[in-house]
Amino acid sequence: MGIKTVKRHGDTFKEKMYLPAIFGGLKTTLKHFRDNLSDASNIPTLCYPEEKPKDITPTYRGVHRLTHRASDDSIACVACYMCATACPADCINIEAIDRTDGVDEKMPSIFNIDLLECVFCGFCVEACPCDAIRMDSGIYSVTGEKREDFIYDKEKLLSIKGISKEEYSLAK
Amino acid sequence: MNTLLILLPLILTLLYSLASVPLLVWMERRVAGLIQDRLGPNRCNISGIRLGGIVQSVADMMKLVFKEEFLPSHIKNKFYYLVAPSIAFMSAFLTFMVIPYADNITINEQVYFMQALPTDLGILWFLAFAGLGVYGIIIGGWASHNKYAILGSMRATAQVIGYEVAMGLSLVSIMITYGTIDLNTMVTYQSQTFGIIPAWGIVLQPLATIIFIVTAFAETNRAPFDSAEGESEIVAGYHTEYGAMKFGLFFVAEYIALAASGALIVTIFLGGYQLPYLTTTDLINNFELILWLIIGFAIVSSIFFIRWMKTHNIFAMKGVNETKVYTTLVIAFTVFVVAIMLFYALGLSHGSEVGVMILQIVIFTVKLFFLHFVFIWVRWTLPRFRYDQTQKLGWNILLPLSLANIFITAIVVVGVNYGN
Repeated sequence: MGIKTVKRHGDTFKEKMYLPAIFGGLKTTLKHFRDNLSDASNIPTLCYPEEKPKDITPTYRGVHRLTHRASDDSIACVACYMCATACPADCINIEAIDRTDGVDEKMPSIFNIDLLECVFCGFCVEACPCDAIRMDSGIYSVTGEKREDFIYDKEKLLSIKGISKEEYSLAK
Repeated sequence: MNTLLILLPLILTLLYSLASVPLLVWMERRVAGLIQDRLGPNRCNISGIRLGGIVQSVADMMKLVFKEEFLPSHIKNKFYYLVAPSIAFMSAFLTFMVIPYADNITINEQVYFMQALPTDLGILWFLAFAGLGVYGIIIGGWASHNKYAILGSMRATAQVIGYEVAMGLSLVSIMITYGTIDLNTMVTYQSQTFGIIPAWGIVLQPLATIIFIVTAFAETNRAPFDSAEGESEIVAGYHTEYGAMKFGLFFVAEYIALAASGALIVTIFLGGYQLPYLTTTDLINNFELILWLIIGFAIVSSIFFIRWMKTHNIFAMKGVNETKVYTTLVIAFTVFVVAIMLFYALGLSHGSEVGVMILQIVIFTVKLFFLHFVFIWVRWTLPRFRYDQTQKLGWNILLPLSLANIFITAIVVVGVNYGN
């Protein structure tokens, strides 16, 4: 480890005059001003909400969705309560019933997520053994007029489409 | 006609100070946005008409007017607390009174002054009222009975004694050069040429120009010398306890002070209402030729503006087609102005003196708005000076420089006069 001598600035006459540095700064800002005035399309500002962000990736934690099985398009969830247990905000409400079609043993009859409670931590996605709940919908803005509008039920969650390549549940 | 010409400078003063505040706020936001690669306000509209965002500053002012006026209960000196914003506002407004907007005009052997207050005091009036403006800040901060506010007003006090000396001394060298304190005489002096260069203050007194512009920034309490506000350290400084229109007055006062300083810089250093190489008599004698030039310029610039607008209306509001409306308005305005100017240019009517006056007012306005742009440009470029750095700059650098400048100027002026 050698000693690195950092060069101190501000001792020369030119630097003590202030003005050259000030004019340098003014030149930089004027360049930005001129460029943006002559071609406003270079400005990265999004005119939200008319313009939507284009850089939402499948890894973005958006609104949850419930996936379907690739075999028969039925619900992939087996109502194991893993997500509800992992949830730190206690916003998932599940009621299980027997599954009679022989595809699996259990399925949820009620699967409600209260998005006003949800902290979008993604623990439910990590906890799920069946890849049945995902947050790859890409929806970042949820609006509603009543509190009830923010409680997403099973049908609503199943209807949300994902933006990742894997449409169906990857569970075997 | 008589009354109109007497009232005109007063109306112009109101326009340049009060009416230009929304424009200045708009310029500040838009220029800041473009400098920082943003768009700036572009949404506020009256049924789809946004005027490029000017509506936003009108809406802001209306909000400030209609907000609840509150009086914090801990304030002991209610009179000073209430009077402080008015002092800041009034003195900023009164500084404008002595600025000449055009040369004195003689109609029917009566001389009309294009100053709102036709006085010889000129610079002294400016110095007196510009200095008084700081009292609004000091009293407001003190009467607020708040630690942040008092820190802000203490900073303002320290700053005012730091820069005011250098400011006054830089103006002394200007007075020696021009041999007068009357602003209109100064502008007439600047219409001379010095060999091939116009004898503008910026050419004759470059050092005084720099010192005065730097101190003018401090005078208006704007960046880089806005440590009295210092929102990163002391909340909002002197106006922490002010809300609604009481804050609004401080806010407007800052912009009027900016406009007044800009007007004085234009008058003293940038030739005022003069075009380089052309005195008022030259303008009156060659009025037709100048009108033809202006007609050409007006047509070309409005074509450029319309083309620029078509490509730059990035996002359209619902409602009226703004681009169409503005295009129609610009074309109508250009046609109207060109028609009036053609009337005079073809020699159909004799109105050259009034015409020259209007031309000079326009030149003054253009120069003034350039100065406004410089003020805004500097604000969004430079970081704030620390409060001791401002003092050091004022006492250690600007004061000796302005003293030296006075000596050199005096020697040169005495030498030249002796030679003659």
